[in-house]
Parts: sequence; C-alpha cells; structure tokens
Amino acid sequence: MAYTIPIGPYHPALEEPFKVKAACDGEVIRSAVVEVGFSFRGIELLAQQRNWTEVLTLVERVCGICSNTHAMCFSMAAEAIAGITVPRRAQFIRLIVAELERLHSHLLWAGVGAEDIGFASLFMEVYQARERVMDLLEAMTGNRVNYGMNRIGGVNRDIGDPAAALAGLAGLGEVLKSVVVPAFVENVTARSRLIGVGPLGREEAIARGVVGPVARASGLDMDVRRDQPYLVYEELGFRPSVHPQGDVFARVVVRVEEMLESVRLIDAALRALPEGPIAAFEGMAAIPAGEATIRIEAPRGEVLYHIVADGGPTPARVKIRTPSFVNIPAIEAMVPGQQLADLSIIQASVDPCISCTDR
Amino acid sequence: MTTPSLETALAALPWARAIDTRPGRIAIAAPGVDPIVMAEALGGLGLRLGTITGIPLASGETRLVYHFVAHDRIVDVATTTVGNRIASLTPRLKPASWAEREIHDFFAVDFVGHPDPVPLMRPEGFEPGMLRAPMCAARRAGAFDAATREVA
Repeated sequence: MAYTIPIGPYHPALEEPFKVKAACDGEVIRSAVVEVGFSFRGIELLAQQRNWTEVLTLVERVCGICSNTHAMCFSMAAEAIAGITVPRRAQFIRLIVAELERLHSHLLWAGVGAEDIGFASLFMEVYQARERVMDLLEAMTGNRVNYGMNRIGGVNRDIGDPAAALAGLAGLGEVLKSVVVPAFVENVTARSRLIGVGPLGREEAIARGVVGPVARASGLDMDVRRDQPYLVYEELGFRPSVHPQGDVFARVVVRVEEMLESVRLIDAALRALPEGPIAAFEGMAAIPAGEATIRIEAPRGEVLYHIVADGGPTPARVKIRTPSFVNIPAIEAMVPGQQLADLSIIQASVDPCISCTDR
Repeated sequence: MTTPSLETALAALPWARAIDTRPGRIAIAAPGVDPIVMAEALGGLGLRLGTITGIPLASGETRLVYHFVAHDRIVDVATTTVGNRIASLTPRLKPASWAEREIHDFFAVDFVGHPDPVPLMRPEGFEPGMLRAPMCAARRAGAFDAATREVA
C-alpha cells in the first residue's frame, strides 16, 4: 500500500529540526522530499549589524560543532581583503584546533551513527573517546565548544605546552585504532547495517554538487586542504581519504580514516610548532573596501564564505554556504528503493547540520 | 587544470568583462549575462557551482555572485538582475535549487523557470524579500556600490 510518512521536524534520530516526507510502498521508500528552515536565525543579516570583531563571535555560533571553522573562515576572508599575513605559529595553531574540531565532529557523528543502528555499547565507547578530544580542546583553548581562538590576523591564545597535548593525543590515537576503527570497519553488526545502504553514485554525487566525506565516499577525489591548500596543510603532507562505493559504509570508512589522518596532522603540527608571534598586530582590525571568497574544509566538507567590505566598521555582506546546505538535498537521491527502517542511518550518514544549513 | 589555461579560457568567454585575478580567486564582471549560457560555459571548463550570493541593491535590483569552484580556486561571476528577475539555473544544475529558493525568500528575486520555487527558509506569514529592507538599511548608504564597482 502506498502512503507518505512525514518524519520531523522534531526528529526521532537527530537533535535538530528538519523534515523528510517519505513516499513509501510498504516498507520500501519510493521518494523523499527534505524540508529545512525551522532554525533560521538570520545570522547573515546580524553580521551586517556588528563590527568585524563582534562578527567573529557571531559566526562562531552558526554551529555548535564546527564553530572554529566559521570563525576561521571569516577571519581568513577579512585577512584576504586587508592583505594581512598571519604569523606561522598562528597558522599551526589554527590547523591544530581545526583538526581537533574535525575529530570532535567525526566522533560525535560516529556516536549518533552507532545509536541509529542500535549499537548502544559502541555509542558509549565513541563518546568516551570524544571526551578525550574535548579535554584537549579545553586545555588548549579554555573552552569545550565555542573555542574563541580566532582573531583577524592570528589567534587569541598560544599553545604553551605542546608536550602535554602530544601525550593526550597519543592516548586518543590508541583508542581510535583499537576500538573505534575496528568497531565500525570490521564489526559484523555495523557492516551488516551499513554496506550497500543509501547509495549515491559518482555521477549523481557530481550532479548534486556534494562535498566533503559524502563526496569522497562516492569516489570524488576532492578536499580543499589539498586542492587549494591553506594554513600549513601542504607543508605537513595532507592525504585525503577517498572510497568509490558510495554507500553509508563508505561514508563511515572515509570519516574513520580522516580521524586517523587528523591525529597524524595534529601530532606533526605540535612537533613542528615554530616560535614566533601568534597575531599579526594588536587591537581591532580595520578592513578596507573589497571582496573575498574563501573556502576551507570543515569536518562535513567545503565551507564557503563570501565577504564584502565597504571600508566601514561592519561588513557590507557576509554570505555563508555550509557543506550541509549542499549535502542534505542529496538524501533525496539516496533513499529511493531503500528500507524505511534505514532512513534514519541514511540521513545520519550525511552528517546533516541543520544549525549550519539554516543559519 | 593549470593556472594559465583556466585564465586563458575565461578571457575568451564573450560575456566576461573586467577579469580580476587574485590568489585563489578570479572575479568576473558579467553584466547582462544569461546565467544558463554562463553556467554551460563554466561547466564545460570543469567548474562546479558552489553557491550563489544575493546582495540587495537600493535600486530594487539584486546583485548576484555565482561562485564556481575550480580544482584549486574560486571563480566568481557577478551580474545584476533586471526587474529583479533572472533565469533559473536549477533545470540544468541541481545545486542551484536551494540557493535560488533562499535568495527568493530573502530578496524576492524571481528565478524564471525554477521548477519548484517553494519557500526554503521563509517562515509562514513572511512575504518573499523578508531580508531586503533590513540588509539595505544595515549597510552604509552608497558605500557598497563603491566597494564593488571593480567587479560589478
């Protein structure tokens, strides 16, 4: 019997509000339509009503998970307009925090994913590992979520004891290798729930314009950290993770491999942390008239900021395009022919951030 | 794709004006361009549509910046609506759909030919163009046009 089931906006699988209207035939999904906008806050308008420093605090609240991404991308755009060169030590620190944020994001996602497939013990293991990342971030930045590390021209806080961070990182790396990676990649329960589910082929991925782990799990070899290098990724020899299968399992494997690469990058950056200042100048930045478009690789994929400055105390326009804005619509292409019971993990496999999408 | 070949190819496009090349970004002014012609040309060069930025102008028109992504840089193409209308890219490029729906919600731009122009971000009870007046009001009068003249 054909019927349409509305799931959301108060969602059974995710914390944030969005809606999927799934047209089903029995237990099989025929098509789906995604609706967003329930968390619209008008952040792009608010950004025009605050000075350049205040906007950093504002955009850091676009998302509670990739908060550093937004503050860093905005800073980089302002620096591009003003021609500010960020000191090398600050670039290393930005990379370290960005990769810790990726670990935090991917582990949070892995916990949600484990819960969605009914693997409660794995959820607990993953969240225990995530606490190690939160501890590292708190020790480095003073905060667990919105880190407040970025300023236009550098960072606000130095890493005073890289050795302590290295010790904490080593423990995290061991947990990832011994618990998280095998649990998702080798465990029979996880594999049986993930392999072949929610397919997105390479051609459809290109047509949909997806980014980040979703794109790389469909065989698209793209990662801003390598393609348009920023900070010191090129110097540290970043390696992207790409898998061609295009199913939920491939999206899991990409994120798992990215976590190991993040640990390697943080380790390398902490060991190579150069001496020097952490900011190009003191005081508030004066941004001249101009435009910049900057993209960086957030945990969920490419983030794009387009900033227009008119030489005044506030930005004239701040456009934010988050990875979820282009990845969430691809759910509609992943679900036809899939079991209704798998809708939850298929949605989760995109790692949808509604806070980012709605802004 | 190497740097010279992309720049050369872009310079040969008949609708491209005032190409401004910076590190990581090429900005093209394309007044009056048909977005479909523009998208097909850039798609042929292997570029992907990242998103579209709408900027409401005091004149009632909307400046649109189409952000295309090459392998190693951004190509921004700026144009302006006529009568706050412009052709929709959505029938040819799926990633344009949500971007155009959002710009319609915010600035009331009519994307002619969009197959499903339903609200994306606009809550019930709000008319299209809900951010147009507040965004124009939040900007310094006249300053925006000076800032963007080089690429507009």
